[in-house]
Amino acid sequence: MKANIFLIIGLIALTDLCDTVNQLILKSTIDSFDWHIDSVKKALHLVWQLTKVWRIWIGFFLSGISLLIWLFVLTKADLNLAFSLDSMRYIMIAFASVIFLKEKISLARWAGIACVVGGIVLVAMG
Amino acid sequence: MIVKRNLTFKILIFLISTDLMETVAQFCFKKSVAGVHFLNAGNISGFFLFLKTVLPSPFLWVGLITVLAIFITWATILSKIDLSVAVPVASFSYVTIPLVCSIFLHERISALRGYGIFCILVGVVLVSASTRHKEKRA
Repeated sequence: MKANIFLIIGLIALTDLCDTVNQLILKSTIDSFDWHIDSVKKALHLVWQLTKVWRIWIGFFLSGISLLIWLFVLTKADLNLAFSLDSMRYIMIAFASVIFLKEKISLARWAGIACVVGGIVLVAMG
Repeated sequence: MIVKRNLTFKILIFLISTDLMETVAQFCFKKSVAGVHFLNAGNISGFFLFLKTVLPSPFLWVGLITVLAIFITWATILSKIDLSVAVPVASFSYVTIPLVCSIFLHERISALRGYGIFCILVGVVLVSASTRHKEKRA
């Protein structure tokens, strides 16, 4: 059964939004620690400290939701369409990084992100 | 104060290793459900039958441990570079996964997919180069 294309687009946008928020939470929490990780021990310690931050669990919850929606989408839509549309996550991450994390994205970086999105659409169609 | 750092060779190795681990994880998950032909998501007993088949599979557990390792590596990467660099560069798995599928699962790569893989590679190089540029100006 083929579902409505707008429903598919909406659901994929929702999974990508969940993932974007998850990454924003993770990145901003790690930035707030401002640690210099130079050993496996420190990396493990960082992850241990992360598990004590409640926001991180909202992120984990969101990625769980995202996985469930994604699995649902895969039962309703063609794989190539789903993967093509899923590349909108790179655009969401880019805008979210500029707006919420105050990252500066140069023209070269925008061009690179556009190439990645275009490439994924090609891979998905191929 | 968060210092923006450029993408060093070491971080690039970390990013590629998360992609390789991602590939291993996907491969393991695919292998762990390889014998399952009867998944009926609307049926509780079908779901338990699915769990009974998948849970004893060593591939599942290797996959899950790999996911944990990916998270530790990803947290380390995010402590060192911009999110808007880490995420596009991590799309490298769109290059590694088709290659592994073609080698180990004998799936074919079409010409169109080949162009796409090349396009992603160009994108990854551009995004990586953009961090070096910023470092020079700073």
